[in-house]
Amino acid sequence: MSIRKKIIIILGIGIIIAGIIVVMMFFKPHRDVQNTATDFRYKASEIVNEYLADADKANNKYLDEEGNSKILEIEGMVAQISEDFNHQKVILLKSTTDKAGVSCTFTQNTNSHTTSIKTGDIIIVKGVIRSGATFDEDLDMYENIILEKCDIITQ
Amino acid sequence: MKKSFLTIVALVIISLSAFAQKQVSTNTHIKFFSTTPVEDIEANNFKSVSTIDTTTGDIVFSVPMQSFEFEKSLMQKHFNSKKFLNTKANPKAKLKGKITNLNAVKFNKDGSYMVNVEGVLTINGVSKSIKEGVTFTIKEGKVNLTSKFNVTLADYEVAFKKGKPSKNIAKIVEVTVEANY
Repeated sequence: MSIRKKIIIILGIGIIIAGIIVVMMFFKPHRDVQNTATDFRYKASEIVNEYLADADKANNKYLDEEGNSKILEIEGMVAQISEDFNHQKVILLKSTTDKAGVSCTFTQNTNSHTTSIKTGDIIIVKGVIRSGATFDEDLDMYENIILEKCDIITQ
Repeated sequence: MKKSFLTIVALVIISLSAFAQKQVSTNTHIKFFSTTPVEDIEANNFKSVSTIDTTTGDIVFSVPMQSFEFEKSLMQKHFNSKKFLNTKANPKAKLKGKITNLNAVKFNKDGSYMVNVEGVLTINGVSKSIKEGVTFTIKEGKVNLTSKFNVTLADYEVAFKKGKPSKNIAKIVEVTVEANY
């Protein structure tokens, strides 16, 4: 009788633990990009040129199958500051001699860190890469590298 | 003499680029919405690039797929994975279309205009021809585009044959597009 009870208790605990794991996986929060270690550091020109040289190879290096792509710190000159439909600040890091740049989108939490930034400033931005730079024949223009969940890195 | 020649060349280039009425938008919003009795799922993307040529009616959208954000991280992982949108292999979706009734819209006059766009939509590396209605709103020379249409996931080989996603994700999802040029 006591053995049966033990088995039932152990099974019950097992089921509860399995249930908790399933619920935790389901409600697992998004990766906190700013509190995750940086994978690569570059100047904006370096990664733009790497993409323009071989986009497939670069995608393979930086993009992740589940969307948790590489976290980059990019140093570059502020070419443009704008805001998107989601009221997120967008800073384009692009050297005047490059064909494309790195477009960095901030978040509701980091937007305020951009207020003192002006075009022409040299800054370092940390964020997750979403897509690379290419020349798109249909758009007939160069597309920038897209970084999201960005924040300014101060040294 | 040489200087005036250069000035003429420069003027010609400037006027040519002014006549090619291509407008670019990086301020865009694309939303996926799926509804089933089990749950509603929404994903938002603010990072697409679009161009429109107001003289030819050519319209292009390039959509970075990893920029779609879901409420739950697990959904976002599923979306990006090989089984679904395979965004590592196909990082961008694209619409390449043309306005078929270009005379229905006056890009230089304030107002709201309904037009038809025909073209090819490429998602997950699969291209299908589509035909959808698009509304242009012109205000003080600024062009705004909105559109709402349905995408049948199976058309783009995004198939949920078994398991939880097949019950929780609709077979046809609603796509809402907005762009400011």
